[in-house]
Amino acid sequence: MTAQELYAILPLLVLSGGIVILLLQVSFWRGHLAAAVTTVTTLAAAIYACFLVAATLSGGVGSRAVTGLLLVDHTALFFCLLLLLAAIAVAVLGFSYLQQRCNQKFSTGSYPEEFYILLLLVMLGATALVCANHFASFFLALELMSLALYPLLGFAVSGDLSPQRDQMHSLESGIKYLLLSALSTALGLFGIALIYAAGGALDFGGIAAAVAQLPQGPSLMLTGLTLLLIAVAFKLSLVPFHIWTPDVYQGAPTPVTALIATVGKGAVIALLLRFFAKADLFAVPTLTNLLAITAVASMLAGNLLALMQDNIKRLLAYSSIAHIGYLIVAFLIGNSAFGSEAVIYYLVAYVITTLGAFAVVGLIADSTLAQAPGGAAPIGNAASDPFQRDFYRGLLWRSPWLACCLAAMLLSLAGIPLTIGFIGKFYIFAAGVQGQMWLLLAAVVVGSALGLFYYLRLLLTMVQRTPEPAVATAGSVQIAISGQILLLSLTAALLLFGVFPQILINWINTL
Amino acid sequence: MTLLAIISILFAGGVLAWLSERFLNRGSRRIALFSLLLATALLGRYWAYFAGDAASAGASPWWDSLNLAWIPRFGISFHLAVDGLGFLMLALTLLMGLFGLVVTWRDIGFRRGFFYFNYLWTLAGVVGVFTAMDLFLFFFFWEVMLIPMLFLIAVWGYEQRIYAAIKFFLFTQASSLLMLIAIVALVYLHYSNSGQLTFDYQSLLAAQLPPDTAYWLMLGFFVAFAVKLPALPLHTWLPDAHTQAPTAGSILLAAILLKTGAYGLLRFNLPLFPEASVAFAPVAMAIGAVSVVYGAVLAFAQRDMKRLVAYSSVSHMGFVLLGLYALNTIAIQGAVMQMIAHGLSTAALFALVGALQHRLHTRDMAHLGGLWAVLPKLSAIALFFAVASLGLPGLGNFIAEFLVLLGSFGSDPWLTALAAAGLVGAALYALLMMQRVFFGPLADKTGRIAGVADLHPRETAALLSLAVALVFLGLRPQPVFDIAEPSVAGATAKLTAAGLEGKSQALEQGLQTAAHPGWPESDRAGGETP
Repeated sequence: MTAQELYAILPLLVLSGGIVILLLQVSFWRGHLAAAVTTVTTLAAAIYACFLVAATLSGGVGSRAVTGLLLVDHTALFFCLLLLLAAIAVAVLGFSYLQQRCNQKFSTGSYPEEFYILLLLVMLGATALVCANHFASFFLALELMSLALYPLLGFAVSGDLSPQRDQMHSLESGIKYLLLSALSTALGLFGIALIYAAGGALDFGGIAAAVAQLPQGPSLMLTGLTLLLIAVAFKLSLVPFHIWTPDVYQGAPTPVTALIATVGKGAVIALLLRFFAKADLFAVPTLTNLLAITAVASMLAGNLLALMQDNIKRLLAYSSIAHIGYLIVAFLIGNSAFGSEAVIYYLVAYVITTLGAFAVVGLIADSTLAQAPGGAAPIGNAASDPFQRDFYRGLLWRSPWLACCLAAMLLSLAGIPLTIGFIGKFYIFAAGVQGQMWLLLAAVVVGSALGLFYYLRLLLTMVQRTPEPAVATAGSVQIAISGQILLLSLTAALLLFGVFPQILINWINTL
Repeated sequence: MTLLAIISILFAGGVLAWLSERFLNRGSRRIALFSLLLATALLGRYWAYFAGDAASAGASPWWDSLNLAWIPRFGISFHLAVDGLGFLMLALTLLMGLFGLVVTWRDIGFRRGFFYFNYLWTLAGVVGVFTAMDLFLFFFFWEVMLIPMLFLIAVWGYEQRIYAAIKFFLFTQASSLLMLIAIVALVYLHYSNSGQLTFDYQSLLAAQLPPDTAYWLMLGFFVAFAVKLPALPLHTWLPDAHTQAPTAGSILLAAILLKTGAYGLLRFNLPLFPEASVAFAPVAMAIGAVSVVYGAVLAFAQRDMKRLVAYSSVSHMGFVLLGLYALNTIAIQGAVMQMIAHGLSTAALFALVGALQHRLHTRDMAHLGGLWAVLPKLSAIALFFAVASLGLPGLGNFIAEFLVLLGSFGSDPWLTALAAAGLVGAALYALLMMQRVFFGPLADKTGRIAGVADLHPRETAALLSLAVALVFLGLRPQPVFDIAEPSVAGATAKLTAAGLEGKSQALEQGLQTAAHPGWPESDRAGGETP
């Protein structure tokens, strides 16, 4: 391993170093704020490292292989950058979430620092997954990410100031994800074994040769690839592998929901893009057909199931299923440069919007907890549960700026102009037209129309004219400064890239 | 730059109105009025062209245009331009915006700042729609005008407002997604054939399309515009939206938003797909004629005054569809005139119904009657606009309907006869409304008749100015025809060429083979490092 190779994986090294430092720091000096600061510093340093590495890659060398396991190129660095930025947002959200729940004044048995260590571990897994070029690194990175996510999903149990019901939900989501994820990993591992048996190679490039000679009809290789695709589809929660999504999203602490929805899915999309391109799997009609079917199913089922949800987190869970379905439409023409550009743009839009939506939801929920110290009382009526739609009745009149942020996020999810979501949807349409995938486009249209209904219903709930006097929190929602800055910057990014998409397009193409 | 200034003034005025109401708790109405007046004054700068200097403008079809690069990656530019048709529509938009503002000056008590924010943003979006000459930009504004309209209905509407708002939005949005696909496909085909990636209107006019594909793309556009128009099977959002919207919202919807559909058909559908339009014309004319009759019959059956006026809109806009697809200059000129006249008369009727509702808190005609005795001014003005709506000679609506019928008779006599029958229906529902509400014995079922005030001078002035405009259009329509003439001639020229060509020869086969597969790669060198 040469120095050059080590330099190329600088972001990963920075993250690993950060994890060690954080572990040591926590073992000597416990402190919530200090841990958060170290985490954000580590993430920022990793982002800086991404730029440093990108600078060395610019001169003629498009990509650098690191020991055959990892491959660092511009696209991988761009994904790393995106995911790390998302992680910073999650850290800020997590700080706000834990501040009330793990308050040392009320209880001494909580360990908020754990959250940040686990978060950094997830990020290490995600960045490694983005750079993976070999099944060994792919599997290691995926498992690292999943293993760190299990305790995060059940985090409300150790942050014991959450209401009893939240703890139960959180535990439920952790266990559900653990069991189903283990199953899908087993399938994926079996798939990898079959691929190795058929192709005799474990690196992505080596498989391409075997794929090129793929015979017509069923074969061992195809079985292996399909099983692997199922494992990936589980992580992306494509229909019919989506059953876990609403429960996990609803039960998990909101920052972790944001993490799993953005970083968890973004890293897998990046990997899928590289895997399909390197192994030239776009030429295998079986796989693309499978993806197309799951995409249509995701768009329709995701949107249909979201229609009747009253819980915002469940609604966003189903809508994220649908959004990954849209993304797959662009993915299916991915062997061209335009296809990957479309996928990346849509992913950026998805990450910004999803983060923003969960940030608003999470920060509002945190603020209600602050009003009821202790907060252990079970939530009785639907109107005061901060995750129910009724809670948002007349939000625009109570706290206009917060409501405007959420409205922007919802409009972006619905794909309305002036937001980044519209440009993303435009890319999907352009990709679909290029690929002549009229059936998929029809599904996108139907799905979007269905989607509009539930986004609008939430939006109109926020502007409802007669706020019920029964709502306990009739006052404006107070959120922390860090949360306000986060929301403001997410909304600004959403509008900036929605009105002037050329900036982001340039960045995608230079990286 | 004037066009950009008009749009920015409206956007900025909206934000200012909201902020001033939020922090100073007053002033939003004045800000709205001021920004609308300023925008109208800026539009007045095009008066020189209107006065007849148009010939001196030279070869360019535009009176004024502004072209800035926006998203070079896709050849999308920020291209605004105005010509005669655009000017007429802009004038209608801004003046009706002013009218709606003045006539409902005191109606809004709840969250006034946010109301005027939405009001001005809707107008800004509509101005954008009427001036955008880049298909992407057009779509952009097409969507931008919807969201504030949605809020206008959903927040300040009547009983069923949420249902009506969602229905309105779903119909328009789902259909416009079809248009987006059609736009992207059109640009992609154009790029495949010519190697030029552009969303610009003028360039796309020259696009060569295989006939089958063109027909499908034309349908994509047509559905979006037909929903807005609204044409028969796609009209069901309209009665709900119009009825539930607040008065100012109904005025915006009826006078302006419906016209965007008609404008889109004339500006985009006919010139972009002339052959397909010629082939589709009989179907579209049939839809138009049936809409005329169907709207009139349903209007006749309503008890709710607002719903009656709403269905009369379906009927009147059916004439527009009929006229546009008659594909000759006379009928299209009639359709343009109908767009304006319908805008004026229906806006006035909605304002009158709104005034009644404001005073008596009901729109149900069964509860009203004999109002002439207590509200003589309002009743007299209502009579004027009711007969305008039924097409009394001497008023703008008559000219419009007459020209449409005259023009379409050559294209399809039977459908024209059917549409003419709709005029009888118009007389029935308009007069019936007058008879039930204003004549007969005074029915005081609402218990509010006593002490009700007649029209305020402000309302009277606003309504009378519309009446004067209608009389002017009815007696001297020629200026409108002169202004619209170049735009209409441009569309008909392409159509006539297509009509002759389409019958004699099919397009060359070679068009199908794409010279440039896939979208172009972005210029990697042109990017900048983040």
